[in-house]
Amino acid sequence: MKVPVKVTVNKKNYNVEVDTRMILADMLRDELRLTGTHIGCGTGSCGACTVMLNGHTVKSCCILAADADGQEITTIEGLSTGAQHLHPIQEAFVENQGLQCGYCTPGMVLSTLQLLTDKPNPTEDEIRHGIAGNLCRCTGYQFIVKSIQEAAKTINSKPAASKPAAAVSSRG
Amino acid sequence: MISQEFEFHAPKQLSEALNLLQRYGDDAKVLAGGMSLVPLMTLGLLQPKVVVSFNHIRELDYVNEDKGMLRIGAMTRHSTIRANPLIGRHCPLLSEAASYVGDVQVRHRGTIGGSVAHADPAADYPPVMLVVGAQVKLQSAKGERVVKMENFLKGLMQTDLLPGELLTEIQIPKLPDGAGSSYQRLHRVEGNFAIVNAAAVIEKGFKSARLGLGGVGETAILVDVTKRLGKGVNDEALRGVSDDAYAASHDAYGDLNGDADYRKAMARIYAQRVTKAAAARMS
Repeated sequence: MKVPVKVTVNKKNYNVEVDTRMILADMLRDELRLTGTHIGCGTGSCGACTVMLNGHTVKSCCILAADADGQEITTIEGLSTGAQHLHPIQEAFVENQGLQCGYCTPGMVLSTLQLLTDKPNPTEDEIRHGIAGNLCRCTGYQFIVKSIQEAAKTINSKPAASKPAAAVSSRG
Repeated sequence: MISQEFEFHAPKQLSEALNLLQRYGDDAKVLAGGMSLVPLMTLGLLQPKVVVSFNHIRELDYVNEDKGMLRIGAMTRHSTIRANPLIGRHCPLLSEAASYVGDVQVRHRGTIGGSVAHADPAADYPPVMLVVGAQVKLQSAKGERVVKMENFLKGLMQTDLLPGELLTEIQIPKLPDGAGSSYQRLHRVEGNFAIVNAAAVIEKGFKSARLGLGGVGETAILVDVTKRLGKGVNDEALRGVSDDAYAASHDAYGDLNGDADYRKAMARIYAQRVTKAAAARMS
């Protein structure tokens, strides 16, 4: 069964028709060609599929594409316009080697954005709990934690006006 | 991609949703947060013919105070439960339990109604709901009823929900003044279901003391240990609490996370821990 879906992704409006069986992660990747969102486990454990839905991180493999109708989504592509203009969080991951294969990284960066929005000065413990929904098989997390600490420092040292926007407006 | 075809409905009003559930009966599955249902469908373990999403019905997402009780809408997300000040003041162990459910992403989407209706034997809310004397409101196109939590949980992932019925509200009595409470759980991986979990509420002056235990039976279990704490929380009392927890866990199941004997042994430990913690918080 096919259903129409109207969705705003990275501030752009889309109208697509999807099979009811399609999950949001696949819609973003296959229909909208936003392949930064990855599918790891496909069952809600690894977090590689993390996106922001109405301003909060969620696992897009656990959301039916049809259910995203009328919602606002931010994917990793929404954080920067390209390699020359990385988001401070992405820059921190590059500078501090917070990735190896990069598969978990988009999800990790979005979870970092959520964390630093909720807790601008997280302790190491808060960082580790904040990314508990994102599994990494390469790094052992140490440099990811470092990247997040450095990202927090950079963001907090900027004047308020030029702080990078968190995701779109939070849920009412 | 999910392999089995299904009809999808996303009503905007509760009444419309209830009519859909009435029409489709057993063929329909309720989609709340989807953190359990969607993976089950992806794995082909559940193949409903009809899925009714409740994610577009605003009227079920609320936390209200109603005299001696908190009313929580079934679609309230775990992250809201965790942070809500009314819950933090009047039933802090529910906030504690919510903080353990899954991870940040899961808590943003998963709901208390979905979790309670799913009735996993090691889920975080049921022991808390049992120990505070919670009730659930069930609605259908034909009417509504309120069921005590201990009567709602029927068996392994089985509840008293009839076809066409929906869990719409969770009713939590406010903790009495001066009561101490605690929720703790054993897990090896953060975000996984608990292996064993325990909740305790002790009324001021040890007037009453109850435990909720999970992971040691088909459903969460309520254990009254008031008699054990007649003289307060001393070593003898804790041994008694430990024995009561062990006895209540006689139907503990075994799986890859722990066999029955292990779970029963852990029930002893966690029962004592929440008892001590609740007593310490009692005023």
